[in-house]
Amino acid sequence: MAVKQGVQLAVISLLASVAIAQTSAAQVPGVTADTIRIGSFGALTGPGYLYGKLPMNGIEAVFDEVNAAGGVNGRKLQLVREDDRCDPAAAIGAVKKLISEDNVFALIGGGCSNATFAARDALDEAKIPLVVMASVHDGITTPVSPTIFSAALTSTIESEAQLLYAISQKAKRIAVISMRDAWGRARYTPLMEAFKKRGITPVADEEMAPDANDATAQVLRLKAANADAVLIVLYPKPAAIFMRDAQKLGYKPLAIGQTGIADPAAFEEQVGSPGATALFRTISMVRYTPEDPAMDKWRKAIETKFSGDRLSVFNLFGIGSAQVMVEALKRAGRDLTREKLVAALNHLTNFPTDVYGAGITCTETDHRCNKAPVWIAKEPGKPVRVLEVTKVE
Amino acid sequence: MILLTYLLLSGLTTGSLYALIALGIVVVNKSTGVINFAHGELFMFSGLLAWTLHVQLGVSYLPSLAIAVVLGFALGVATNLIAFRPIKNADVVSLVLATIGLAFVVRGAARVIWGGKGDYLSFPPITSPDPISFGEIMVIPQQIAVLAGAIVIMLVFAAFFRLTRAGKMMQAAADNAKASKLVGIRVDRIYMLSFGTGAAIAAAAAVLMAPLTLLYPDMGFSFFIKGFAAAVLGGLTSLPGAVLGGFCIGVIEALAGGYINSSFMEVSAFIVIMFVLVVRPTGLLGLKGMRRI
Repeated sequence: MAVKQGVQLAVISLLASVAIAQTSAAQVPGVTADTIRIGSFGALTGPGYLYGKLPMNGIEAVFDEVNAAGGVNGRKLQLVREDDRCDPAAAIGAVKKLISEDNVFALIGGGCSNATFAARDALDEAKIPLVVMASVHDGITTPVSPTIFSAALTSTIESEAQLLYAISQKAKRIAVISMRDAWGRARYTPLMEAFKKRGITPVADEEMAPDANDATAQVLRLKAANADAVLIVLYPKPAAIFMRDAQKLGYKPLAIGQTGIADPAAFEEQVGSPGATALFRTISMVRYTPEDPAMDKWRKAIETKFSGDRLSVFNLFGIGSAQVMVEALKRAGRDLTREKLVAALNHLTNFPTDVYGAGITCTETDHRCNKAPVWIAKEPGKPVRVLEVTKVE
Repeated sequence: MILLTYLLLSGLTTGSLYALIALGIVVVNKSTGVINFAHGELFMFSGLLAWTLHVQLGVSYLPSLAIAVVLGFALGVATNLIAFRPIKNADVVSLVLATIGLAFVVRGAARVIWGGKGDYLSFPPITSPDPISFGEIMVIPQQIAVLAGAIVIMLVFAAFFRLTRAGKMMQAAADNAKASKLVGIRVDRIYMLSFGTGAAIAAAAAVLMAPLTLLYPDMGFSFFIKGFAAAVLGGLTSLPGAVLGGFCIGVIEALAGGYINSSFMEVSAFIVIMFVLVVRPTGLLGLKGMRRI
């Protein structure tokens, strides 16, 4: 009799504990006994799709790999996508929908800077963890938001790296050419602070409009200042005009770009003047080109899952940020809560991914977790190659 | 002296494109009394059509230019049929709002068709990209081709206006629509011809400009603003004024950028325009007592 009662008690206890566990999981948004729902927002349509749809494809490739290996602590990962079209208002709507309608547990997203920045208040209000995949706006992570972490570079880090790279290349007379719109100022202001911090004065400080169609005046002024390195804070269009006119006027400085001009091969084509980009260097968020044999695994994954696609550098942004999220989910444990995920993200130290220039490190006071811009270049007639990594302190 | 030569050449090249855009704006305004705010988008759309023909379909440059001009003309006619003719008796504000609405539609269509093919589309140079030297001056042949092409288009347009029956009827309708009707000119057709001609000039400007810059669906408005500024500077009803205004703006921008500061490039032309309009409100070559038809 006592044995029978003991068995009954054990069965009831077991059922109760399973029920409690399921209830507990059900109380955490987006988490069930066997799944974790992760949301993503970025441009799925329009020209900004490079920074939205393609990284999301990379995230999905990582999730497939993780799920095939049994998931994270026994739970499979699901990705829910929302289109923000790179539009700030649409980004706010996308984030709110993911949180309140799709009921996601956490987010990996943010393609366009201004759109992601606009959504920050909604993200802060919901206290939902976000790993930023591509947006570089400083305001997304500075001042620190308790739940937003960036696996992407930020504009301040890139600006600092531009100056450090010029110095490392023994440039003696460094100049700046920049746009002064909101995008440009977010980079130009920290760049000037970096100059000041090192006691350097740029030999020339020129401006170009985003829609400029001629840079003769700027090139002549930079040439007159005898600048041997030019830090370029421009979109690809004005930068292409600048490089073309520099070539025309026989001016060949070391030209140092940033992630606004992320694809040197496309840039060479846009400039359209043979040899004009021979001394052009720019920043990549990742340390491999899509053609690198080290990316074979991901190339196969992307090209198998998304027929017609070829692995691009933008896929790699998603792969890196997804790996950061997966690692934090693992560390947060089976008894998953958003607080535990945030704590795990806060304690990532030098976490190696397959793509970034160095390990990812986040702290409670600094959520700019990627501080290793990678320098890339393309010599005429040759493929894009990785030059070196600048570690910004 | 070398600096001045470079800046003048650069200013005249850019200015010639502003002049062509201004010319299109003035042609429409002169005959209808309306500023076509979709003019920049027609310019953009024609440029992207030429890109499709030349880059994607392999049509050579001159036939692409010709086809784009014809398609530009058709777009202008469509603008007249959609945004002007149905409401031609409405007040000017309604007419202008209709063209603004059309501008958004055209831009949206361009984003659907050409968005997502890369941030910017490049148009291959029609001449050798290597600079050629004249003494100490280095010049891109493309710049010379653009400047020459723009001047040819202006001369063809001037001949059309002065020598052809259609051109003379456009002038007559612009001068006095009621009197033109009385002598049998079908003014509605003249309006359609004006919209078509304005857009065809914009198309020619876009295809000339394409190899010098990059194309993208949002490029229209900034070109429209420069062209509009040139038209205002020259006098909104004066065709020679539009050409003069375009060249002035291009040269002022280049000289301000070279001799003062590159930050002044964008604002310099507008400062000069404000000054000119204060001194001479009808613009450089505008007629006194402008008449709206």
